[in-house]
Amino acid sequence: MTPVPGTGGPSRRLVCALPPALLAAGCAAPHRGTGRPGDPIVLTLLSHYASGALREALQGPVDEWNATHDRVKVRTLAVEFTDLLTTFMVRQAAGRGADILHPYCLWNGQLVRAGVLRPAPPGHAEEIRRGYSAAAVGSASVDGRVYGYPTEVQTYALYYNRRLLREAGVGGPPRTWRELEETAYRTSRRDRYGNTLVQGFGLSTYDDATTVGQTLALLNAAGGTFVSADGRSTAIDSPAGRAVFELEHRLVVGGAGAPGVNVYQAFPSGRVAMVIGAGWWTDSLKALMGRAYGDVGVAPVPVPRPGGRRATLSTGFMLGVNTAGRHPREAWEFLRWLNTEKVAAGPAGKGAGVTRMSRLQVSVGSLTGRADDMRTLLGEGGDPNRHAFLDALAYAVPEPNGPGAQAAKSLLRKNVEALWTGQSSVDEALRSTRRQVDREVSRAW
Amino acid sequence: MVNTLAPEAAEGAVRGRPSAGPAVGGRTRARRRQAVVAWLFLAPALLFFAVFLILPLGFALLLSMSRWTGFALGDIQPVGPANYTGLFASGSTFLVPVLTNTLLFALGSVALALAGSVVVATCIDHLHLQGLWRTLYFLPIVTTVVAVGNVWKYMYEPGGLVNGVLNALGAGSVAFLEDPDTALPSLVVVQAWASVGTAILVLTAGLKSIPGSYYEAAALDGAGPVTVFRRITLPLLRPSLMLVCVTQFLTGLQSFGLIIVMTRGGPGGATDVAALEMYRQAFAHGDWGAASAAAFVLFAVVLAVTLAQVWLFGRKGEDA
Repeated sequence: MTPVPGTGGPSRRLVCALPPALLAAGCAAPHRGTGRPGDPIVLTLLSHYASGALREALQGPVDEWNATHDRVKVRTLAVEFTDLLTTFMVRQAAGRGADILHPYCLWNGQLVRAGVLRPAPPGHAEEIRRGYSAAAVGSASVDGRVYGYPTEVQTYALYYNRRLLREAGVGGPPRTWRELEETAYRTSRRDRYGNTLVQGFGLSTYDDATTVGQTLALLNAAGGTFVSADGRSTAIDSPAGRAVFELEHRLVVGGAGAPGVNVYQAFPSGRVAMVIGAGWWTDSLKALMGRAYGDVGVAPVPVPRPGGRRATLSTGFMLGVNTAGRHPREAWEFLRWLNTEKVAAGPAGKGAGVTRMSRLQVSVGSLTGRADDMRTLLGEGGDPNRHAFLDALAYAVPEPNGPGAQAAKSLLRKNVEALWTGQSSVDEALRSTRRQVDREVSRAW
Repeated sequence: MVNTLAPEAAEGAVRGRPSAGPAVGGRTRARRRQAVVAWLFLAPALLFFAVFLILPLGFALLLSMSRWTGFALGDIQPVGPANYTGLFASGSTFLVPVLTNTLLFALGSVALALAGSVVVATCIDHLHLQGLWRTLYFLPIVTTVVAVGNVWKYMYEPGGLVNGVLNALGAGSVAFLEDPDTALPSLVVVQAWASVGTAILVLTAGLKSIPGSYYEAAALDGAGPVTVFRRITLPLLRPSLMLVCVTQFLTGLQSFGLIIVMTRGGPGGATDVAALEMYRQAFAHGDWGAASAAAFVLFAVVLAVTLAQVWLFGRKGEDA
């Protein structure tokens, strides 16, 4: 084809128009309403409630809001938990961040440092401080400032298998570390090849919850904390931290713990006598174990000495508002409606008043930081194992969530694993954790 | 390709015969038009190359000298070489164990895969149904790394196949992936197993290209099989060996999928490798600067190792 002089117009125009058009199409903001007066505002809510019961549980109140509010509508977006932080990052960097975010509270410091989370307005912050347990408020705060409404709160307690304890001649769950050790050694069993048949105390390198969660729960029970009050250094090498590392080391060396075992499989199949875990596990165990769930008991995390003050770890999620959102006031109003407005606890509008979020969380086997709602919803006839987690709301210590919290947690996990697998002594593990975590958290601020 | 501008250019040349000036101008115009058309044809490929290679590379280089949490592009803060110095500072785990693990993993898997594939390829070369054997050994390549990792993970478990065999032989169980001393070697075995198929494919092709007359001459001279292998097969297989060595090293140094499936870098960082560390720094810790700096350090290591291999094989070739 020979180009005709002077008629290259359409193609040139096309060439000029195409990139901006493609750019505009690619970078177009998600549907947030037309912005014309009278048209509804559409808020987006990004969470990890991506499938099954969780997705439906969240969609229920959102549909209720949309049916009763003409001016502001809410649209849910969901990804798997493993993709949640990455999705926050990618969408935010592309200018497509959701109006309402549902982060794991461990990330709050990171999100606040990156300017993603908007502090709660004074009225909302006051409501949050007043309505939730201290652990839940602490999880939703960074440097003392509240950034959102706490949703599910997970406290840690000791799961134990009654049958295994009974077979070992142990009458009940341990209350102190000494009892814990004795019970762990008495219930442990191995075959002649060294394969673990029953793990006395479930020390497992399987995931963060079984490694770090368990270690931090014991640390809190010993009166210690992982990071200092200002969040700028670790306190792991305190006497409490040393005591926890020594206890875990003794349990592994003494054959009561087998770090290679996946406790999420081994406990339901009766191959772990005791393990410290979060409250969400009760429903999974019920489904997995069937009738054998009757052997499962839950007790508070043992303390070092008799009569010691109880404490444990709590982790959680919260709903916060994006700084990049164009309608923060409407977003906070929706969150207030979802998290503080009381509705009937029972079906058909019966029963005492609880928040929609509390009702949602209990329906999926979780808890919120609203102890009064939880007591109403769990009632007298519910699973008694959940009461230990509910009671723990009163004394739980929130997981540290400063800017370098995720990195500090990874480093703690590495060092705990090194201790359990014999790569490091207690002294070396404490020293190494201190050096690595201090470097990370001080850099993060 | 038909040159659409040729008639016009020729016409211009004919018209321009009486004087040289306009003819030169016409040729220049034609050449310019040809260049424009050539660039237009190249433009999609160049645009793709720029968007998906040059731009990310430049952005990564910028990030490696900046501090960025990954959320807002406006928050990129230049920090100079701090990310690079941070990787090698006291308390950093990048050099030991991350980089050393990466090198050991790559070295171990290349050595094992190379030795295994040379032996297997030589055996296949002497067997009937060579296509069938090559296909069988190539099967792990068409299997996803997630499936391979999970199957081997179950095989390594205390009640798994490998320990079952050990127990049947009267030996005690080995905590392959839970013991820091055996975790990395266990992964090396899986990586070598998974990559041996490609190596066998390349080496059998290399063996086929060795002229049979060399072997006939060696047989006439009374050379034994070991001498024939050492003096004929191995030297003439060198180009194929180099290809296998370089590609396997590249794969080993960048390994990520197998490790995240089988050990997630544990226990206690015993199987932590550079790619996994970069992923964690960027996507979990929000430290894109450190992740990008680590990526460039790994790039330098990969380049150095590759050049060293090319030089080594080239030198051996000259010596031979």
